[in-house]
Amino acid sequence: MEEKKKNRLKKVAAGLRQDIIRMLCLAGSGHPGGALSMTDIFSYLYFGDVLNIDPNKPDKKDRDRLVLSKGHACPILYAALAEKGYFDKSHLKTLRKFGSILQGHPDMNKTPGVDISTGSLGQGLSCAVGMALGARLNGQSLKVFAVIGDGECDEGQIWEAAMAAAHYNLDNLIAIVDKNGLQIDGFTKDVMDTEPLAEKWKAFGWEVATIDGHDYDQIEDSIQKAKNASGRPAVVVAETVKGKGVSFMEGVCEWHGQAPSEEEKEEALKCIGEFKTD
Amino acid sequence: MDSEKKIYDNPRKVIAEALVDLAKRDDRVVYVSCDSSLGASGGPFNKNFPQRHFEFGIQEQNAMGEAAGLAVSGKIPFIAAYVPFAAFRCFEQIRDDVCKTRLNVNIMGNNCGFSVGPLGPTHVIIEDVGVIGSVPNITIISPADGPQYREAIFKAAELDGPVYLRVHRQEARRIHGDGYSLKIGRADRVLEGDELTIIATSTMVANSIDAALMLKAKGISAEVINMSTLKPLDRDLVLESSSKTKKVVTVEEHSVVNGLGSAVANILATSGPALLKKIGIEDNFAVVGEYDELIDYYGLTAEKIFDKIQDFLHREEDDENSNRL
Repeated sequence: MEEKKKNRLKKVAAGLRQDIIRMLCLAGSGHPGGALSMTDIFSYLYFGDVLNIDPNKPDKKDRDRLVLSKGHACPILYAALAEKGYFDKSHLKTLRKFGSILQGHPDMNKTPGVDISTGSLGQGLSCAVGMALGARLNGQSLKVFAVIGDGECDEGQIWEAAMAAAHYNLDNLIAIVDKNGLQIDGFTKDVMDTEPLAEKWKAFGWEVATIDGHDYDQIEDSIQKAKNASGRPAVVVAETVKGKGVSFMEGVCEWHGQAPSEEEKEEALKCIGEFKTD
Repeated sequence: MDSEKKIYDNPRKVIAEALVDLAKRDDRVVYVSCDSSLGASGGPFNKNFPQRHFEFGIQEQNAMGEAAGLAVSGKIPFIAAYVPFAAFRCFEQIRDDVCKTRLNVNIMGNNCGFSVGPLGPTHVIIEDVGVIGSVPNITIISPADGPQYREAIFKAAELDGPVYLRVHRQEARRIHGDGYSLKIGRADRVLEGDELTIIATSTMVANSIDAALMLKAKGISAEVINMSTLKPLDRDLVLESSSKTKKVVTVEEHSVVNGLGSAVANILATSGPALLKKIGIEDNFAVVGEYDELIDYYGLTAEKIFDKIQDFLHREEDDENSNRL
């Protein structure tokens, strides 16, 4: 990736991280860790000319779709959609509040730019498989992206969907696994070891790339290859750092589902600011 | 009783034909199955529209999510599986992916009630109306005969929202005429009367009509209502009929907990001055047996319905029933 583009995307990512921290602090609850870990990938997807979408036409028929199967990470989705112009940024202040368009988990009937409602882990990839099948039947050349968690891979339904996607040769489906190594009760290897994760996807018939989920060259390379997959679905296993960009949150299990206080917010914004000039 | 020739329809065959006819006129219609479709309603569809038939094997949770995904892509999926797998295994997928999103996904619960009695209670589900009925946004259709099964398919596709269709295995005696038009949320008065209202659904409509004719021979005028939409219930007709007769009997091949009887009780308790007797299956798991044996054992034959109604009319104490609510 060109340095210029890389720097632009890093700058966007820093802004998205700041939005995540600010909205969670105001909400008083929510999930920073798994939102921050996906920020570089979302910066690339939404601002790196990857997704064929138009914020002025959120229901455009041939748009690419994104399913955030790990729905609790919605602050990154909301931050990206707001930055993209799907709705006014002032809505970010209303996250999780009564009457807000930004629910605790994504709701397709409330938030422009959300392609399908998610929240209960394990269910989103199946919906993405259905969307990919539907698009193929419609003769649409669009791509369906599904973002799932590594903890979410504990769910049997993920593997049912993985089996079905390969069975139907869905090369219009791209899964991204946010392999941040943590879930609510601790390290995924201790709670329920999903390793060898990449090999499992391979065994299910998917084209697999394992990358550093914060390295823009690797992100671009893997997503572009996945878009060109032929005859089978592709998965990018993105090794990430939970809480990425906020030093005191990085790799700390407790920041899975806890909002920063006012002081913590200030400290976090400072961290992100420093990271931005990196 | 009557000398008229009775016509019977196989619900699965009726549905299979209706789906093909529907799919011919609407290319959005797709069929989703879970390794139990070809002998049920999916065979002819598969033959006519192989590209629009999606088989997901024994993965009902996955298949339900995929049906939701197909629906957001503009398709009208019909998904079929045995009731336990169509309604229970994937309950959360129904609730979140299909109902909360209000998608046009049509779920066919095959072999409801005692359809497959010999398989035992893992496969004999008598709680599906209560379980599915507890979810907002879904419509429950429980047809009584061939014309209703056929209409249910067309009307479910037309309705822009989720439908749960209960499909029985027993041959269904024809109650309605050929030109029958089903209106979702509207029940049909299939027999007029003014001393008693019998509200029944699915297989129990025919048995209730027979019971009502036996009552008629005894000089008792019973009205029979075919409640083919269980959610939303036809509140207006329940109130209209019960305010006339002051006595209501519900009959269902389903648990008396959270089925048709409970739904009618909810209406009568708040708005209707009428006595109610619920005829159905006790709050229990079904015993194993052939269909006719079970219908007899649980007191759901026309003769036993007739007996129970006579008891009710004589205002005999019914201890069993008083425990149920």
